[in-house]
Amino acid sequence: MTLTAATPTSRTRPELHQSTVAQTLALSKRSILSLWRQPALVVPSLIFPLFFAALGTSSFSRATTAVPGFPAVDSYLDFALAGSVVQGILFGSTVGATALAVDIENGFFDRLLSSPSTRSGIIVGRMAGGMVYGCFQTVFFIVVLLPFGLSIKGGVAGVLTMAVGGTILALAVGALMSAMAIKTGSSEAVQGAFPLLFIAMFFSSAFFPKETMSGMYKTLAYINPISYLVEGFRDLTINGFSASAVVRAVVIPAILAFLAVGLALWALKSRLGAR
Amino acid sequence: MTTLDDTTTNADRSVATTRTFPASVGLMKRSVVNITRLPSAFLPSVLMPIFQAIAFSGTFFAITQIPGFPTDRSINWFLPLGVVMGAGFAGIGIGFTTIRDLEGGFYDRLRLTPAPRMSLVTGPLLAALARAALVTTIVFIVGTLFGARLTHGPLGLIPLYVAALGISAIGTGWGLGLAYIFRDMRAAAIMQLTFFLVIFLTEAQTPLFIMQGWLENVARINPFNSVIRLSRLGFVDPPMTWGNTWGGLLTIAVFTALMLLFARRGLARLSDV
Repeated sequence: MTLTAATPTSRTRPELHQSTVAQTLALSKRSILSLWRQPALVVPSLIFPLFFAALGTSSFSRATTAVPGFPAVDSYLDFALAGSVVQGILFGSTVGATALAVDIENGFFDRLLSSPSTRSGIIVGRMAGGMVYGCFQTVFFIVVLLPFGLSIKGGVAGVLTMAVGGTILALAVGALMSAMAIKTGSSEAVQGAFPLLFIAMFFSSAFFPKETMSGMYKTLAYINPISYLVEGFRDLTINGFSASAVVRAVVIPAILAFLAVGLALWALKSRLGAR
Repeated sequence: MTTLDDTTTNADRSVATTRTFPASVGLMKRSVVNITRLPSAFLPSVLMPIFQAIAFSGTFFAITQIPGFPTDRSINWFLPLGVVMGAGFAGIGIGFTTIRDLEGGFYDRLRLTPAPRMSLVTGPLLAALARAALVTTIVFIVGTLFGARLTHGPLGLIPLYVAALGISAIGTGWGLGLAYIFRDMRAAAIMQLTFFLVIFLTEAQTPLFIMQGWLENVARINPFNSVIRLSRLGFVDPPMTWGNTWGGLLTIAVFTALMLLFARRGLARLSDV
């Protein structure tokens, strides 16, 4: 009998006509749960930035007073927080994009495309896990480092701004890597592209002030947007809450996210067009 | 009835009487040939130390301005660290290859050959040493292009190569031992993490007198600190003395022996399975 196909029940009809927001939320829930259920994938992105922060604090504390051009800070730990947050988010956001590539490899992505869900919902939903995780990472690093002498001059407002900035940055990085995943359809390619992010972060002021660098390193750090983003986070930590810091900590990731989501949607469109 | 004396060809006889060294060289050749046949697997082990040396020296350029810093060139400080990391990963990379061979069944075929068991350890060791020498040479040449200079002349290369080959031998023993115990990719994470920790909990980034707090205490008792110090002897201002050298040599000798023993025992246990 084909009664079911001809006359859909009232139970399935609303699902077919769900709004973009509802579809995105459903896919977001899946993405968040997948991160929650595979802690081994994300734990390194919590441990390594903390390890580097501890290592740097012990190695470079003397540099904060002995190196000309180093900003006035209570400790290197205050200086290092911003770099640790960005480093953690770069690590963590790649996980979501890799999962997207795996979805493509195993055919689940094609099933999503053949469903009545919106294209942007599929992309943003996949990245939602990374966004929630980015927010969590930001707060986690602050909470863990507070007992070790971290002080946030920007106070609660500063922490909230960093959490928002971290969330948007996670979207930006996740979208960028998702564009790579959609374009190549390969989880190995996504993993292989990760070092590029790492290099971009190293040639910025994430670990040391750009004013203390010289030659081409200084030039690279000055033209690297990651420098300004990190300095926004850093200003909230070592100088206090200011409009300039908020703009750098939130607006720069927002611009990057806008461009990266656009790139991911373009990659999706060209993937569908190629069929 | 076929006997070696009567009917076996020369080729059969040479296999049947294979000794440790020729078998080890054969295994080394296989690994070295793989560099040209599968460059994508080898390139990261060269690019990583180059990137590390260049990026660290650029990012932390200003630490050389701290009074008493042993060199005024940051690349001189970070190039040996890159070399040691690269050489170490050349060693534990052999562990990764062994895991793949174990999982793919190739290792079972190796164990069925008449090659002496010891050659399954010494062969990969020779391969790691060859790879480490190559990595050290390439990183040194690139580092020189980026401004690294031997402050005590070409003799300064000797401690760099000794440290690199030594750390590579230690990494090989550690990698093989863990590969034999775990027999899957779980071992890879342990190999990398432990090696990373052991190297970074030293004077890797700054000299002891600049450090403050817990890291200084850990680095002081970490035996691998003397290996890092050995690798830098030719690149820093203080003179190359026996007092700065013997600690690194002793660490290399002791840990190489221990790690190769660890690998040999792991192999023996593997044969029991």
